[in-house]
Amino acid sequence: MSVSELRERPDAVVDPESGGQPPLTGEDRLRLLRLMLMMRLSEERALNLYKQGKIPGSFYDGCGQEAISVGAAFALAPEDRLCILHRDLGAHFVRGLTPDRYLANYMGRSGGPTGGKDGNMHFGDPGLGCVGMVSMLPDMALVASGLALAFKLRGERRVAMTFFGEGSTANGQWHEAMNLAGIQRLPVVFMLENNQFAYSTPNELEFAVDPVKRARTYGFGGLSVDGNDVEAVFAAAAEAVERAREGEGPTLIECRTMRMHGHGAHDDMSYVPEEMLAEWRDRDPIERWSERLAGEFSVPPKRIKELREEVRAEVDECAERALASPMPDPAIATEGVFANEWRPLGNGQAPWSRWKQREAGAAEDQDGAAA
Amino acid sequence: MTLGTKDQTQPIPGREAEEMGQVSPEVARMSSYLEAISDALRHEMRRDETVFCLGQDIGGFGGAFKVTDGFFEEFGAARVLDTPLAENAIIGTAVGAAIEGMKPVCEMQFADFISCGFDQLVNVAAKMHYRQGIAVPMVVRLPSGGGFSGGPFHSQNPEAWFMQAPGLKVVAPATPADAKGLLISAIRDPNPVCFLEHKGLYRAVRGEVPEGEHTVPIGEARVVRPGEEMTVITYGSALHLALRAADEIDASIEVIDLRTLVPLDREAIVASARKTGKVLIAHEATGGAGIGAEVASLISEHAFEHLDAPVRRLTAPDVPIPFSPPLERAVLPQFEDMKEACDELLSY
Amino acid sequence: MSSSATSVETATAVVMPQMGVSVAEGTIAGWLVAAGDEVVADQPICEVTTDKIDIEIPAPAAGVLSEILIQEGETVGVGTPLATIGGSSPPATPAGEEAPEPLDEATDPPEIDRSAFFSPVVRRMADEHDLDLSRIEGHGVGGRIRKRDLLTHLGGRSRPLHSDSPYRPDPEPVSDPDPGPAAAPGPDDLLGPVRREPLDPMRKAIATHMVESRRTAAHCTTVVEADFSAVARERSATKEEFARRGVPLTYLAFVARATVEALGEFPVLNASFDADREEIIHHEDVNLGIAVAVEDGLLVPVIRKAQRLSLEGLAAAISDLAQRAREGRLDPDDLHGGTFTITNPGQFGAVIATPIIHQPQVAILDLEAIVRRAVVVEAEDGTESIGIRPLSYLCMSWDHRALDGAISARFLARVRERLESWGVRS
Repeated sequence: MSVSELRERPDAVVDPESGGQPPLTGEDRLRLLRLMLMMRLSEERALNLYKQGKIPGSFYDGCGQEAISVGAAFALAPEDRLCILHRDLGAHFVRGLTPDRYLANYMGRSGGPTGGKDGNMHFGDPGLGCVGMVSMLPDMALVASGLALAFKLRGERRVAMTFFGEGSTANGQWHEAMNLAGIQRLPVVFMLENNQFAYSTPNELEFAVDPVKRARTYGFGGLSVDGNDVEAVFAAAAEAVERAREGEGPTLIECRTMRMHGHGAHDDMSYVPEEMLAEWRDRDPIERWSERLAGEFSVPPKRIKELREEVRAEVDECAERALASPMPDPAIATEGVFANEWRPLGNGQAPWSRWKQREAGAAEDQDGAAA
Repeated sequence: MTLGTKDQTQPIPGREAEEMGQVSPEVARMSSYLEAISDALRHEMRRDETVFCLGQDIGGFGGAFKVTDGFFEEFGAARVLDTPLAENAIIGTAVGAAIEGMKPVCEMQFADFISCGFDQLVNVAAKMHYRQGIAVPMVVRLPSGGGFSGGPFHSQNPEAWFMQAPGLKVVAPATPADAKGLLISAIRDPNPVCFLEHKGLYRAVRGEVPEGEHTVPIGEARVVRPGEEMTVITYGSALHLALRAADEIDASIEVIDLRTLVPLDREAIVASARKTGKVLIAHEATGGAGIGAEVASLISEHAFEHLDAPVRRLTAPDVPIPFSPPLERAVLPQFEDMKEACDELLSY
Repeated sequence: MSSSATSVETATAVVMPQMGVSVAEGTIAGWLVAAGDEVVADQPICEVTTDKIDIEIPAPAAGVLSEILIQEGETVGVGTPLATIGGSSPPATPAGEEAPEPLDEATDPPEIDRSAFFSPVVRRMADEHDLDLSRIEGHGVGGRIRKRDLLTHLGGRSRPLHSDSPYRPDPEPVSDPDPGPAAAPGPDDLLGPVRREPLDPMRKAIATHMVESRRTAAHCTTVVEADFSAVARERSATKEEFARRGVPLTYLAFVARATVEALGEFPVLNASFDADREEIIHHEDVNLGIAVAVEDGLLVPVIRKAQRLSLEGLAAAISDLAQRAREGRLDPDDLHGGTFTITNPGQFGAVIATPIIHQPQVAILDLEAIVRRAVVVEAEDGTESIGIRPLSYLCMSWDHRALDGAISARFLARVRERLESWGVRS
């Protein structure tokens, strides 16, 4: 598509109201809760391991931001691709990673996706269609754009998604990514997590113009959603993913949220007013979603409680497995600098019922054809 | 008694030696270094649909140096992708596309501008496979080198920067045949490869280049000219100075073209140092902590007992490349410098 | 004295500009002014085309365009003077042309006595060969003993100092058959004094190529005898005319012409053999290699598209290549791309030879000395008598992998026929 054609509709904006009721089934809603719980409880467990000295280096989590990575990744099809960042553990779980591998990676053990070569949240499981982040932000916005470029060049109906914080929008590479994605109308969805602080720097010292407004100046849509509402995040992401899949270009989705822990475990957050934390604590995404499920969708509170216990047991079991995973053999430290061959990324899981139905349909077609 | 012929691959005394091909002329044609690079790119793009180029002004305009001249017409805008002025975007999107199975060939308009895309190159591309086991098959073409009053920002030879970023392969061909063969190999390599193409060789150097399929293995140096009394280990533009010096000096000088800087052909370096006992390492890039330093340390580690003289370097001094012609000449190694360095080492 | 007076006397050079960092040369597309024209500064005076851009060159100074040095269509390197504007004095050297000031640091350090300093390799070799270094004369800087001095001292009999791979231990020295204290004199001793001369690169290259060619090609040699009477007549008739035009007309030129024509009829000989791909490569052009003896070896410069050249054209090309080969002025291009080679050692009196094929070509033709011999000649009425004729053997080595004896014989017969009928049909 030519640049001039693109410029004819620079203000294509996703309207979160227009999407109507997203087609989430009751199962989907419980899955969302389960995934958010898995992120919360895994990170709690990891923080404990960190405090017990089982995790070297530093520790970062996404406490309070669970709705974003879970809700956004939930919209993706198996063949879509993800660059996941450090507050987005939920997206890994959506794609099928199990907590033991996450914990093993944090502990520098061989069972982690990087086998000890990189730590904490710097991982992605290539077999699940995920590319791990680097510390420089927002480098992965460009890598995700590149994945999307490959889809576009090959004419595939696939989408790339990545995450970054509002702090990243100040970096030059953010501009390079937005600009290129806009020019080339790439099938990429940018999930912006505005968690109020870049380490200790508040929004007003990060930018003079809101990043969502800036998205429009790059020639594509931007919108803001409540980042603590998993359904709102999902709805916005699902629509953006669909637009991208249809060749309508990128979308920037700002999810307003709050980082409820320090930048890392070493950060006491002394710069955050207590009232501010209290206010956001009342909007905890997991509590809110649980309440909605119980109220609006009539899920028995007992079921929600059971779910929580199931997840806790699963995380405990995973922690045991991670602790049992051996430390890496020092001999591998000098191995793998160069690749001998290229191998494709694998497809991730896509728990949204829509994709499950598609798979079921495809299987049926195949059965029919076979018969 | 009748000698029907003479081997064509040997330099002729008093001749420029860059014409030496390693190929039989019947399947080759004379090309400039620049044409050889275009030829390699075109060959790979015709052969493999996943190969595409991206960079500034490479489309309809054909590139600042015209390497991709005519590509836009043949392959279309999608595969000869004009990007905005954003080096990190060029490298970063190439990384993503490579992970997804494309084979991007990035063009930096000048090698110097890799500094603006350095983060994506050294932090994302270089470390990807080590950290995650994900291969990144991509090439970054880097028009490098001075000698044209390009000044401090259009003349650099930044290869040593890349040597400090494990995970990048680095090649620096000096002849048209190697330029073609190494570019094709680089495109097919599953790793990020920095392809340093010296601007001074683009149109000044011609040589036989095999038509069609031609690869030169990455990681293999070439003994361009065997000799006994001393060795010049070199690459890129300095190779041509070395060959001329070897022609003019009445001594048996071995000349080795490294061709690949990462991974270095350690065996070739050490074997030659052991053989001649006297080594001059010559390159246009600045000397401090450069390729010459690496090669010298390799020799002292593995060939010490075979040395008959201190290992010497002929490089640019550690200064930015100045603009004014006499200043630039004072900084970049010249033929006279090469000759003098060889003479000194031979008489040691 | 005003400065303008000076500037009138000093000529200004118009030079080929550098239109981009990688541009090394440009071609004059046309002159917009003529020699003798008055030009004003910055007036476009000529058009230049490079492979990147076409431009007009503005006059660098005002004055009369006194001389055009480079004509339309010519291609010259960046910085080459194209024309001169004004002045009677020679043009000032452009600033960029000045030789760089020599660097100060070039002053040599005072010579230090290094006769007692031994480099690592010298120490090692002295140990290995049990040498007393104090008794060896050093020829290095400051009287230093060099590795080369030791090698000379050892008479080249030391074992190799290196092995192929640095990561393997040096191989154990091959145990020379121990001559023993009372051993009988070996064959070497019977040779008497010798002088060992290392092969120069050209010699080495020739050696390698020849052995390789003999190893790969199935060499066969076919010989025909040709009567050069017709050629001799033609040559004496036209030699002086050619000479006036600066072209020495040799017998070789006739043979070259006849060969090129015959190759047109027998393209299988204008070919290369590609054993790896099991293919014969046929060439459209006849790129004729001419072996030229030079001081210390042999070169084979190539006449490109020889099929387009007349006898005179070939004669001129042969003369030019031979001269430049002997003077070391061949372009590297001149040595590549041959499709068939002619060698002519006969000029030194040899009468027969079996040349080695220039790989990967499939044949090489050897013109030997033209000698007057008594032969049976047949008159037009069929009577036979003994006559004196200038004859020579045409010896051709050919590769039996690519062709067979019948073809080579027919080809040579065709060459002979052409030579013997010179002047009859043309």
